[in-house]
Amino acid sequence: MKWFPSFGFQQRKRELQEEIDAHLQMAIADRVERGETAETAREAAAREFGNIPLVQDVTRQMWGLGLFEQLGRDVRFALRQLRKSPGFTIAATTMLAVAICANSTVFSWIDGTMLRPIPGARDTGDLVSLQRGERNFSPTPPFSYLDYRDLREQNHTFAGMLAYRNDWIALTGGAQPERAYIANVSANFFEVLGVKPMLGRFFLPEEESRPGAVPEVILSYSLWKTRYAADPALVGKSIEVSRHPLTVIGVAPEGFVGAAPGLRDDLWVTLDPLGNDGWRMTHRDWASLIVIGKLRPGVSRDQAAQDLNTVMHRIVAAYPDDHLGDNRITLDPMWRSPFGANGYMAATLPILLAIAGLVLLLTCANVATLTLVRFVARRRELAIRQSLGANRMQLVRQMVLEGAMLSTGAGAAALLLTTWTSKTFAWFFPPNAAPIRLNGTMDYKVAIGIAVASLLAGMLCSALPAWRSSQAPAIEVLKAESANVSGGSRNRKLLSALVVAQIALSLPLLLCSGLFLRTLKNLAGADPGFEQDHILTASVGLSIAGYSRDETMVIRHKIMDRVSALPGVKVASLTNWIPMTLRRRSVDAYPEGYVTHPHESLQVYHADVSPRYFESLHIPILEGREFTPDDKDKAPMAVIVDQTAARRYWPGQDPLGKRLRVVGDGPLFTVVGVAKNSTHMFVNESPEPMIYRSIFQEGGDETTVQVKTEGNPADLAPAVENAIHEIDTRLPVFDVRPMRESTQMASIFAVIESALAGMFALIGLVLAATGIYGVVAYRTQMRTHEIGVRMALGASRVDVIRLVLLQGLRLAGIGLVLGLAFALGLTRFIARLLYGIGANDPVTVVSVVMLLGVMSLLACYLPAHRAMRRNPMTAIREL
Amino acid sequence: MSTSMSEKDQYKNRIELLQGTLDMLILQTLQWGPQHGYGIVQALRLQSGDVLQVETGSLYPALHRLERQGWVQSEWKQSESKQRARYYRITAKGKKQLASDLGRWERIVEAIGSVMYVKPKESES
Repeated sequence: MKWFPSFGFQQRKRELQEEIDAHLQMAIADRVERGETAETAREAAAREFGNIPLVQDVTRQMWGLGLFEQLGRDVRFALRQLRKSPGFTIAATTMLAVAICANSTVFSWIDGTMLRPIPGARDTGDLVSLQRGERNFSPTPPFSYLDYRDLREQNHTFAGMLAYRNDWIALTGGAQPERAYIANVSANFFEVLGVKPMLGRFFLPEEESRPGAVPEVILSYSLWKTRYAADPALVGKSIEVSRHPLTVIGVAPEGFVGAAPGLRDDLWVTLDPLGNDGWRMTHRDWASLIVIGKLRPGVSRDQAAQDLNTVMHRIVAAYPDDHLGDNRITLDPMWRSPFGANGYMAATLPILLAIAGLVLLLTCANVATLTLVRFVARRRELAIRQSLGANRMQLVRQMVLEGAMLSTGAGAAALLLTTWTSKTFAWFFPPNAAPIRLNGTMDYKVAIGIAVASLLAGMLCSALPAWRSSQAPAIEVLKAESANVSGGSRNRKLLSALVVAQIALSLPLLLCSGLFLRTLKNLAGADPGFEQDHILTASVGLSIAGYSRDETMVIRHKIMDRVSALPGVKVASLTNWIPMTLRRRSVDAYPEGYVTHPHESLQVYHADVSPRYFESLHIPILEGREFTPDDKDKAPMAVIVDQTAARRYWPGQDPLGKRLRVVGDGPLFTVVGVAKNSTHMFVNESPEPMIYRSIFQEGGDETTVQVKTEGNPADLAPAVENAIHEIDTRLPVFDVRPMRESTQMASIFAVIESALAGMFALIGLVLAATGIYGVVAYRTQMRTHEIGVRMALGASRVDVIRLVLLQGLRLAGIGLVLGLAFALGLTRFIARLLYGIGANDPVTVVSVVMLLGVMSLLACYLPAHRAMRRNPMTAIREL
Repeated sequence: MSTSMSEKDQYKNRIELLQGTLDMLILQTLQWGPQHGYGIVQALRLQSGDVLQVETGSLYPALHRLERQGWVQSEWKQSESKQRARYYRITAKGKKQLASDLGRWERIVEAIGSVMYVKPKESES
């Protein structure tokens, strides 16, 4: 086969013309030589030659068709064939489009989150995030400023290393304060990420820790646009942040929202912009920075980790007291960085993509079945074309092309659908306190993914049936009576295999979704150890809005008093943390006299709470007492620990009266009570120690009021907001919502998993059921004549039913056994995501097998029933 | 296209009827040296004493097909009369084909001959 003759086609046409001209010229020359006049010679030669265009045409046919001519002809033929059976075309295209869309949707979510960890940054593939100590799913910021600076300056494997930490602040100065998410960043933050300012400039190296300098701020594009009306002259002007004047020096480009994947920064300042955070800048035990490094070209993650651990080892040796516990540094690429959302994404989305892949395979098997049946119906046409000289490759190519046309159409539909479904990811996230910015992206990567998936799907659903169908010996097909040939035994085997494959593939889909749904149910039903219903929470910006510590304490007392007095309020209390909101708050705790094991983490969860906190959340105090109004500034520092902390630090002893420090050289706290364990982040977490301090003793950077209500907590929201604003109208109040709503965040990934797995399983079930129904019905129809004969010879209706049912159920049985083995092999990959249920939970397995079995039985029974009711005489006549 | 299908088919049929033989004749002609299309027609006419008149509608398709099959090769050259023309040359593969065509041709001639020249007496016995 010539591959590119079409490029030379015009050239060859010209040459043929020239060849014929030469022929005529020579003929004329001969005749003239023999004495004819030029005129008669020309006429005679032309007559002798014959019809020139026809000769050219016939000759050109000898060249064979080029790739493109051939393709064009095949495409037209394929389209004609598909138009002839619109039912098949529509059904197959729809099924493929849905299956491809399932894949491309999940992929667009991966693309928008894991593959685009830091929008607007350059070369995110070279970035790694640093983790110190025990690897954790949601670690706290791991480095102090001094440790970070040493690592940055002493390593040999990084082109740059940035650090940041996040906080809420309030933009004061306007009529109404507005809460914003701020990041304190190292001076090289933007440079390491490769981001250029849209207006003004970014920080200079000498500004990183310069005390007493004019505080400067950089705004995000969206904040500049929304709050400052995209004022081009804003750079150089002063804005008020938490009642402090800051000078705007630059605006970040559109789309760049900081270095934490999935979270949105609104503005950036240096690490200690006001010069009032000296403690943090000079103490090595005050780890508050998240660090991201940019690897030098050619350096692997392992080499870099080794290099950093060498440096870290020196730091630990020099300052052992500031580095108790585990100090090993591990590196993660940004797509699975544990800081931000990608840790959760990486645990969830790839598995969903794999499940979507199963759906696509299943769909291909289903469409392949339809295709095979169609090719069998067309076997006479195929045989005729074969006997007219088409070789097997040509036939296969033609048939595969039909599949490719189908899947191309399906891919185009999926592309359109995905532009919409990619944006549905954000729907999963309920309103919550975090500046979450997660959604899918529809870009060239997704388009390429769709193209590859459609191509593969097209090949899968047509190649096998085409290859099989092209094997039929032409002569026999043409000789045989159409009704007698049920497609040959090879086709029958392939059909059976496809049905078995469909059932085997749908079983794992059903099992996964069953397990995810049970997990979701278990999570919802689990007791988190605290009361979530009838609780309204509202956050108030105090320190973030620039109120001093003393003002804050006064306002807190006022809030408690006013809110408690509201009608419908049973109990009101304050806290600086709401459990199960994907938020980890931890500090290092140093119990007096406690010797840490090597590599033991000192981190404990902590919350600063007011009196009656435990009462309002129904968390029992097992020993000692709850905080009282007396646990305030001048009183001895009090702490309440949970059971896990008590057992770990003082095993077999009475924890009451024991003391601990928070931060190495902080004050000593005395244990006044032991609270029952309750859930911190996830219902399925392994218990970690927790300590509670009094919000009136410890500053507590945030203030959230929790109100236990008599009726629906949402009804009380306006009253609570009003009560707070009566104290001071400028107090920013935000995130006012029932606690139930906030704690949904803890099961959000289970919701995503079960929603998608459930949808995929439903598709799988429908496909498997229609698949087996289609094949059994088709085969039964093919055997109408035989069944008629059997009945005429005395077979009873029951015999007929048994005949048809058995053949279908045998396939279903094989499919179920294979699928079960397949499913049980696969579920261990999702075991990590399950709660309260084993990966091979017998009840789920049995119900899923039963469900699929019953569906198969039903799918086989319908055609069996139809066959049974036929009149044997008409059945026999029907050929 | 102005040409009717039936006219085209006629040409095709003639090619098919003559195919094996025409191929053989062309290859045989090229045995004596490279030749252009017109030359082949003239050669066949002369060799056959004006009996074989090859249609151009058969000749050129045949030549192009033989080239595609690799039995002949072509190149553009100047003829003695300064006419640029496409010359065909037989290849080694073509020579092999010619030998097998010739063998088959001889068997057919022999077979037809033995049918045509049967002596009446022998057939009666």
